[in-house]
Amino acid sequence: MVNNGAPDVEVVARVLGGDGEAFGILIRRYEPGLLRFATRMLGNPDAAADAVAESLVRAYRHLAQCRDPERLRSWLYRITGNRCRSHLARRHTNDISLSEAPPLADGSDTWAALERSEQVALVERALAALPAEKREAFVLKHVEGMSYEEMATVTGARIPTLKMRVHRAREALLAALEEVVR
Amino acid sequence: MSPIDPRLQEALDGERDPGELAADLGEAYARLIAATQLLSATPRLSVAARVMAEIRQNPAQAQTGGPLRRSIRWLGRPITVRLRPAWTLALAAGLAAVLLLPFERGGPTPGVTQGVAKFVGHFPGARSVEVVGSFNDWSRGALALNDDDHDGIWHADAVLPAGQHEYMFVVDGERWVPDPLAGRFVDDGFGEGQQNSLLIVRPAAAQP
Repeated sequence: MVNNGAPDVEVVARVLGGDGEAFGILIRRYEPGLLRFATRMLGNPDAAADAVAESLVRAYRHLAQCRDPERLRSWLYRITGNRCRSHLARRHTNDISLSEAPPLADGSDTWAALERSEQVALVERALAALPAEKREAFVLKHVEGMSYEEMATVTGARIPTLKMRVHRAREALLAALEEVVR
Repeated sequence: MSPIDPRLQEALDGERDPGELAADLGEAYARLIAATQLLSATPRLSVAARVMAEIRQNPAQAQTGGPLRRSIRWLGRPITVRLRPAWTLALAAGLAAVLLLPFERGGPTPGVTQGVAKFVGHFPGARSVEVVGSFNDWSRGALALNDDDHDGIWHADAVLPAGQHEYMFVVDGERWVPDPLAGRFVDDGFGEGQQNSLLIVRPAAAQP
């Protein structure tokens, strides 16, 4: 029985040794971030859940292909990012429609929650208007808190390219937010 | 959309103390940080049960397993690979000749919907070389190459289902190497521009 707090390398070795149930530890560890990332990329929680579920099953099936289990998180984000890109490509557009970007509201029926929900919707609309590559770079940097080095591992893009995408995304977001303030 | 002041970009990249920013830049900084915080809420979703159900229903995966299990799995699966690799044109030419040999010469015998593949790679100094691919769920240990004469040329024959297969060599148990002279490659789907080698197995019945 592998410890829930065991390092990724240990859990991966356990799974590859035949203990498929140990994969549940990795799911619990990375599922929240992957779902957040996919939701921001696709703008639709259902599509995001599909993308993450497919990615995790794919990761399980190809776990032996993970060349560096110490960087499992990056590997999982990479697979999920690829699934999101495939999903967007199937929709023939990199943009997500506003109607598909419902706010991740608190759920409590208070004025503050409603106001927050509207703010979230506003920011999501601005994010949804970004091209997918810039949206991905911005989310990985500012929502998932990754370094540019890890982002390069996840996306396969060079660090200067990623910096440029993040910078452009910030400019577009700030412009959109200031437009609303006016 | 106008460019953001470089000092604001630096602050957002953690390269500058945001407290040093002028008032207008500080306001823009705060607005962007507030926006990112709004986006950081974690969706109240879970796919854990769904994923684990899928895994339990079809547990086949790229586990390494023990030698006996690997052997049983390998023997129980209709393998088939047709290999294109070689590390020089000369070897490729020699290989072509080998591939034309009739299968009855002690090699694996394919079924009607299978074909024989010969994997060859040049890995001088390697301690082990194996082939993993879509035909064996990328399972390590299922198909090892041999270098009995220690000349750095590793090879293995296999019977695989007719059709298209992706594969890679695994050298010394840790280095994943695409076949440099495979005729075709395909993105491995994991980003970073990595590619898998591609081979097409023709059914033995269709071979001359």
